[in-house]
Amino acid sequence: MVDAALRTAPVPADPAVYDGVTITLGTPLERRSLRARDAKALGKLLGRKLPEQIGRSSEDVLCLGPDEWLLRAPAGTAVPDGAGLPLALVDISERALTLVLEGPRAIDVLQAGCPRDLRKLTVGEGRRTVFEGVEIVLLRTGEDRFEVDVWRSFASWLHLALTTAASHLR
Amino acid sequence: MILIHCPYCDETLPELEFAYAGEAHIARPLDPSGLSDEDWERYLFIRANPRGRHNERWRHVHGCGRFFNAVRDTVTDKFELTYKAGEPRK
Repeated sequence: MVDAALRTAPVPADPAVYDGVTITLGTPLERRSLRARDAKALGKLLGRKLPEQIGRSSEDVLCLGPDEWLLRAPAGTAVPDGAGLPLALVDISERALTLVLEGPRAIDVLQAGCPRDLRKLTVGEGRRTVFEGVEIVLLRTGEDRFEVDVWRSFASWLHLALTTAASHLR
Repeated sequence: MILIHCPYCDETLPELEFAYAGEAHIARPLDPSGLSDEDWERYLFIRANPRGRHNERWRHVHGCGRFFNAVRDTVTDKFELTYKAGEPRK
């Protein structure tokens, strides 16, 4: 997170406002890719119980796979590095950025490019999925609020795809 | 769009999240250096390629990331069932 303040985001800083949805660049986050065969050891290190079902989250940790979790916390949060333990805890804070979609039509915009049935995604859940061929981590943080984590190099294109879909809302 | 059931996520999801990964249950040689050229050829290249029921590997690449096995009919493209990697042939 050293140069996060100096880095230029590949998407416009101003929110893109449409009728029914606003697309905003999220604040920088501390992100960690967590891999461990033993969820208990990882949970003990982080001081919380990890969600065991794929898609569920507890506090700021989302379960992405049977042995994979994603930690998302406000930038600057101290996270232990787990040195010496049989697990992988990798700093991927700078790899992705967050786009926030808010509004009653946010689900329609996402559904324009995501093949999943997003009505089944309940508040508090998240999934790794695709939007128009780009891999994203999609989190539903409210009934009308979604957060999309996308790799930095895909972000400008994804922003274009989302704003294009939003501008076609009827 | 084909819907595929991921045995790890326990959800039935669109095929766009998945990637095909070849025939399933092909065991890696236990003693690679002892293999003859013909055996290597058989291991690397020779596949059953059936018309009909086919056991094959798939990966939930844009999801949980796991490899799993599926039984698909190569004529109708219908998935009969999917099961976790490591489980015996079904």
